[in-house]
Amino acid sequence: MRSTVSSLVARMALAGGRNLGLLVTVILALLLIALFSPRYLSVDNLIVVALQVSFVGIASLGTACLIISGNVDLSIGSQYALCAVTAAMLAKMLPSPVAWISGIALGAILGLIDGLMVWRIHISPIIVTLGTLTIFRGVALRVTNGFGVRGVPKSFSIFGQSRFFGVPMPVWVLVALAIVAHVVLHSTTQGRHLFAFGGNRQASEAAGISGKRVVLTTFASNGILVGITAVLAASRIGSAAPTFGVGFELDVIAAVILGGVAFTGGEGTVVGVLLAVVLLGIVNSGLISVGVDPHYAEMVKGGALVVAVTLDQLTQEQQERHRKALAIQERSTVA
Amino acid sequence: MHPPSKPIVRCVGITKYFGGVRALNNVSLDLMPGEIVALVGDNGAGKSTLVKILSGIHQPDNGSIWLGDVEVRHLSTGRAREFGIETVYQQLFLCDNLGAAANVMLGQEPVRSRLGPLRFIDTRRSIEEARKHISELGAVLDDLVTPVRRLSGGQRQVIAIARATVNAHHLIQFDEPTAALGTRQARATLDLIRRVAAQGVAVIVISHNLDDVFAVANRIVALRLGRIMLDTRLHQTSREHVVASMAGISFRQGTS
Repeated sequence: MRSTVSSLVARMALAGGRNLGLLVTVILALLLIALFSPRYLSVDNLIVVALQVSFVGIASLGTACLIISGNVDLSIGSQYALCAVTAAMLAKMLPSPVAWISGIALGAILGLIDGLMVWRIHISPIIVTLGTLTIFRGVALRVTNGFGVRGVPKSFSIFGQSRFFGVPMPVWVLVALAIVAHVVLHSTTQGRHLFAFGGNRQASEAAGISGKRVVLTTFASNGILVGITAVLAASRIGSAAPTFGVGFELDVIAAVILGGVAFTGGEGTVVGVLLAVVLLGIVNSGLISVGVDPHYAEMVKGGALVVAVTLDQLTQEQQERHRKALAIQERSTVA
Repeated sequence: MHPPSKPIVRCVGITKYFGGVRALNNVSLDLMPGEIVALVGDNGAGKSTLVKILSGIHQPDNGSIWLGDVEVRHLSTGRAREFGIETVYQQLFLCDNLGAAANVMLGQEPVRSRLGPLRFIDTRRSIEEARKHISELGAVLDDLVTPVRRLSGGQRQVIAIARATVNAHHLIQFDEPTAALGTRQARATLDLIRRVAAQGVAVIVISHNLDDVFAVANRIVALRLGRIMLDTRLHQTSREHVVASMAGISFRQGTS
């Protein structure tokens, strides 16, 4: 038990510095905004902020897993649109629960398509999913003729609009899925193999881990999360449009990277990603509530990302120097 | 276990072509438990091809492989692994982002409990088992959790070999184990190899370094252009004889 705890402590210490930094930044940002706009810290407003971040939040869990395993899916914005319009269109013909589940299942299929191509075609997943980004968007526009899907029955909105203890459904879904993602990533062999695969693909396959299985399950799971996001969004608004989620992938990837997931794979925590999602959400809504031109919010978000990756780079360089020094020391002590 | 007189892995008349090039030509080799066989030869002699055939990466065009008493027609990487054949490559396949324990136990993590398809890792047992495998090599590593990218070359070598020993019940192959190491580390690695063999595992070592070969091996097999030119006990040969075999020069050794 003690070594379990000590390994947990060591792991937390590694990710901890960064997560602590994010937490402090979140608190500072909240305090700063509250100075100018005290209403921002009201429970009602914080619930609104939580609702706003929950969509990017759910999708960022999937993208975090993908990037940790050394992959990425750029097509999530288009998956989002296609799942949302499909669910909304089906809701006009079929019982709402069937529409919800179909939208989520479609996400799994789209993710699987991406996964199969990335696994089979040996070019960068960035290129492959850039292709499907355009394809899925095209399909969404085609099936809707470019128009929004309206006239969806009221029952379709139950999923997205319901509240428990005053907190909207999307927030609960995010919390539940974040807990699941945390446990899977950090406590199971499946999670361990994602990190291993992202750290060194050849080594993982040499150790008997099936690359095909890792790639397909992460892409499909990511698709399921995108499907859930899409169905929640369409259900909440009571309609869907083929233009949903344009640029969604950039918001999600920015949050994931800011949250400490290395774009090169093999590093990251769910806690960090959640903190980054919250931070970006606060910057967005907080600056507006303080009365700052919303364009500045974009600059601040982009700036935060650049600062974060620069800090990462500097830490890595320092570690590399440490390792070199160690190697020189070892070689010089020839018996 | 296995009586020492009985080979654990046998190659019989292995021939392998790459296009028009005959990489291995009618190679037969019996490997005994606990034996350290050095594979020597020039570049292109077929050493790596033989190692890759035994680990299931390449399939021979002709000849057969016996694992214990079973003739295996198509030795896949999965089958080789299942039988307990592991290979430690020069590039030291480690996941730099994981700790030593996670690397040693990679792909065979001890499981605490299951929930549907999810298997929860028993972290404590994982660390204990990794520590056991490392200490069986006579090495000590205190921190098994910190990412191995922060460790030195010698420590990384220990981890790579420990990982191979987790599954290498019958044969462990080393591809140029000392090539990237300093003198002291190289010596430590040769000690590790002896320890592995002492556990009753057959060992193949590919090396360009004849000093290492003569320091660690019990048996030397020299390949030249895909053929075995020499297969002898270490004490029945000399450096000159080995070098001559590798170069394809006929050599008369004393009275024999």
